Amino acid sequence: MSNLIYEAVNWNKPTSDLAQVFWDQQWKQIWFPEEIAVSKDVKQWQNFEQQETYKKVFAGLTLLDTVQTNIGMNQIATHTTDLQEKAVLTVFGSFEAIHAKSYSYIFTTLCTNSEIDELFEWVKKNEFLQYKANKISDIYNRIEEGNSESLWKAMYASVMLESFLFYSGFFYPLYLGGQGILRNSAEVISLILRDESIHGVAVGFFAQNLFKQFSQETQDELKVWGYELLLDLYQNEMSYTDDVYAETGLSPEVKAYIRFNANKALMNVGFDAMFPEEEVNPIVMNGIRNEGSTYDFFSQKGSSYAKAKVAPITDDTFQFNR
Amino acid sequence: MKTYLKLNNDVLNRYSSTGQLELEKDREATRRYFLEHVNVRLRYFIDIEEKIRYLVDEGYYEKEFLELYDMEFIKQLYKKAYDCNFRFPSFMSASKFYDSYAMKSRDGQEILEKYEDRIVIIALYLAQGDQELAERAVEAMMEAYQPATPTALNSGKKARGELVSCFKLTMDDSMNSIAENIGYCLELSRLGGGVGVNLTDLRPLGDPIKGIQNRASGVIPVAKLLENSFSYSNQLGQRNGSGVTYLNIFHADIENFISSKKPNADDKIRLATLSTGIIIPSIFFELMKKDKDIVLFSPYDIYKEYGKRMSEISITEMYYELLDNPNIRKIKRLNARKLYTEVKKAQFESGYPFEIFDDNVNDAHPLKGLGRVKMSNLCTEILQVQVTSNITDQDQENEYGLDVSCNLGSIDIHAASKVENFEKLVDTSMRLLTNVSTMTNIKNVPSVAKANQLMHSVGLGAMNLHGHLVTQGILYGSKDSVDFTDCFMEAMNYYSLKSSMEIAKERRETFYRYEDSDYASGVYFEQYVNKEEQEVSPVVIKALGNIPIITKQMWQSLKEDVMKYGVFHSYRNAVAPTGSISYIRSCTASLAPCTERVEVRDYADSRTIYPMPHLSNDNAHLYIEAYDVNAYDMIDLYAAAQKHVDQGISMTLYVTDQWTTEQLAKIYIYAWTKGIKSVYYVRQRLQTLEECVACQI
Repeated sequence: MSNLIYEAVNWNKPTSDLAQVFWDQQWKQIWFPEEIAVSKDVKQWQNFEQQETYKKVFAGLTLLDTVQTNIGMNQIATHTTDLQEKAVLTVFGSFEAIHAKSYSYIFTTLCTNSEIDELFEWVKKNEFLQYKANKISDIYNRIEEGNSESLWKAMYASVMLESFLFYSGFFYPLYLGGQGILRNSAEVISLILRDESIHGVAVGFFAQNLFKQFSQETQDELKVWGYELLLDLYQNEMSYTDDVYAETGLSPEVKAYIRFNANKALMNVGFDAMFPEEEVNPIVMNGIRNEGSTYDFFSQKGSSYAKAKVAPITDDTFQFNR
Repeated sequence: MKTYLKLNNDVLNRYSSTGQLELEKDREATRRYFLEHVNVRLRYFIDIEEKIRYLVDEGYYEKEFLELYDMEFIKQLYKKAYDCNFRFPSFMSASKFYDSYAMKSRDGQEILEKYEDRIVIIALYLAQGDQELAERAVEAMMEAYQPATPTALNSGKKARGELVSCFKLTMDDSMNSIAENIGYCLELSRLGGGVGVNLTDLRPLGDPIKGIQNRASGVIPVAKLLENSFSYSNQLGQRNGSGVTYLNIFHADIENFISSKKPNADDKIRLATLSTGIIIPSIFFELMKKDKDIVLFSPYDIYKEYGKRMSEISITEMYYELLDNPNIRKIKRLNARKLYTEVKKAQFESGYPFEIFDDNVNDAHPLKGLGRVKMSNLCTEILQVQVTSNITDQDQENEYGLDVSCNLGSIDIHAASKVENFEKLVDTSMRLLTNVSTMTNIKNVPSVAKANQLMHSVGLGAMNLHGHLVTQGILYGSKDSVDFTDCFMEAMNYYSLKSSMEIAKERRETFYRYEDSDYASGVYFEQYVNKEEQEVSPVVIKALGNIPIITKQMWQSLKEDVMKYGVFHSYRNAVAPTGSISYIRSCTASLAPCTERVEVRDYADSRTIYPMPHLSNDNAHLYIEAYDVNAYDMIDLYAAAQKHVDQGISMTLYVTDQWTTEQLAKIYIYAWTKGIKSVYYVRQRLQTLEECVACQI
């Protein structure tokens, strides 16, 4: 038996600046895919021409969320030293699992079993998809005990994944949903996005704190490494987009959106944006606004409800100063 | 990619990033929409006569109602409508009309009606051969009156749904009644209706059946059956059926009922698509104030002991009697504050349940002599007396009671302030609503058909309050806004009652059991003939435009007429939430504050960006968004309106996630003290992470 001294996580004393904020926000927006009536999309789906693209987009996203659940958040949580941040990252991991499962929920509702099996085979065979999964996982797996540079690199990779690589896939459901096509599946995506945007900001924030502790020299080295990784992933993402969106004519718009998000990912880790500003399709942009949009009661569930903050009713509750 | 959608979306995109409105983008979107989507699909006719002949011959219009008029008159009426030079003021209004309301060819490709055509057909259809009314109808609708969606959508069409779309049913504590009502729900849902069902009279989980203890399954499985019925019966797949179930807060199944809408509820009790509402008697608030426990009862005991259903008694009056009676089981004791906190938690997490304040409703109910109002509908604005049907075995006759179909229309407040003759506008609206009720016969639901025939109930409401206030420079929630609302709603009440009296006089007919009502006894008028006349500011007077301020004397003379001639409609006013219908007319919804200056509206079919009517870069500060309006000020405004509405007002509360359950409870309690009758959804704006990090870093 080892003789280590174990420390208990003490939420009474903040040890990390924003861990509590991230924790609260994530739990407030808890959701489950079963709350969204994806089955309402079935009729539209049957006449939908670009089924192949749509399925592949979702299959690709499933792989990324799987990597993020099984390796990403786990590894980063394991090596993070602050106990509150560790807890937050573990919670994030569970949400990634919900995301990965929610794509399956959409597949199960819209596709046949053999179609689904084929898709998961396609995931294993698509070189660009495998390339990004490998690239990111390698960095996750290389975290060394006590080596905070390797931990920072993993966090950086995580932000790239969540704030950048996901968006080539998110584009399509947002683009269609905004035009009234497969709206319920788009609703699932907008809920996933709502989570991913916290993950990106939170991990980016933790990464920035770590980064500050490095010497100038290390910082410079890491910056070079970071931009190189981004470029590498970007090249691959361009090819992936051409491949998946081949027959839709949307590739140029998807690429603009990817660059927009690459810039956002860089800002999350405290780096300067790399790509010049350009116009992104407004329908897609409006799809990622976090405020609840207005629904009439015959339509779908809104994405705007969240966990309650409970406070007891007291005698004062009955006093009105008016 | 459709360029008009992109342009329309760009309005919001620019507004979010720069804070500047670029309304010319929206105008350009509207122009492109007509060029690309409407004009090319609009079927061309040489003249009106040719158009009507074609639409009748091809089976698009019913021919019977058109035969009541001669062609010259019809042509004139079209001219009258077209002479108004109507223009769609926003992309939202144009697209909503052409996507959802205009008549299209069966394959959906050709557009057969323009806006004016639809208005004329509604007028001809509802006026039933009365030329004068048809003319007045065109005027009213081109100016300020808007019939509810089912009436606007279906009038005159050969293949059509019903003219009304909202219903209330009471379920009794028997398998016959449960089965019968589920059948009704299937039928009504098929017609496109939203249906409210009262479950308060059903025995709770674990109650005896035929004397054997622990056999009953309670209200939740019945609610599940209803939920499935609504999703099965869906208007040929056009839109899903919708329903709401109501339960009294003293019913023994209340805890499961409250939890049933939570996203993390057990699958066995979870209601995914069915809405829920609870009925709260004042005694609940009183016990909560004293921090007492409340006792839950079974309707089964109450019926056995008193021969009355739980929904038929006032729990507030009977509470201590029920406690003292040894034959009434005290099924569970719960701390009132804790229970109400659970209600608030559920509302934060799901928006449900709606709340109906039982005693506020029944104390102000002008038909209390006829019975109690037991429940509301899907939008919590319909509050009418019901009598439970006695559904017997198949070999006996059923005794049908009274249920409710709601027949609604709304007046655009901004336009109404500008019409020459407000009294005439209200009278025309009332007559059109009356005809909708006469023309409606829901034959598969006898209790609804019977009540419609006897009660002639209608619900005239109002919309575009916020839009109008902005044009007058009045801030929503200010004293002037409350005074304006008070005066406007009083005038609407006055003239609708006057119109109802006139109709009774003409037809020599009142609603069923009018003589037992507060109108007949004159009690209804006490609040008005003895009122203190209030000074209102010049701003309010200007905002009222041509709408008169109603004096004591006017009420006194109306009282005399009413007591002499009677009243035709059992119910006259109700303020609906007015979703899509207000968008066509470029109004803000109902009496509500706008939720966003530039709103994102998600329908099942599209996402559309809607800058609020009259919004400009100069008046944006007046368009205070609902989440920023002081909730207490908003309640005061609704309370001012509620005084003048015989039924209810659909009122949504807006909160942010910074609110606690206690703050939410407090605002409901405040609403209850102010005489508010019902609260519809709680809507929440989730703060985005950027906001909350921004204020800390």
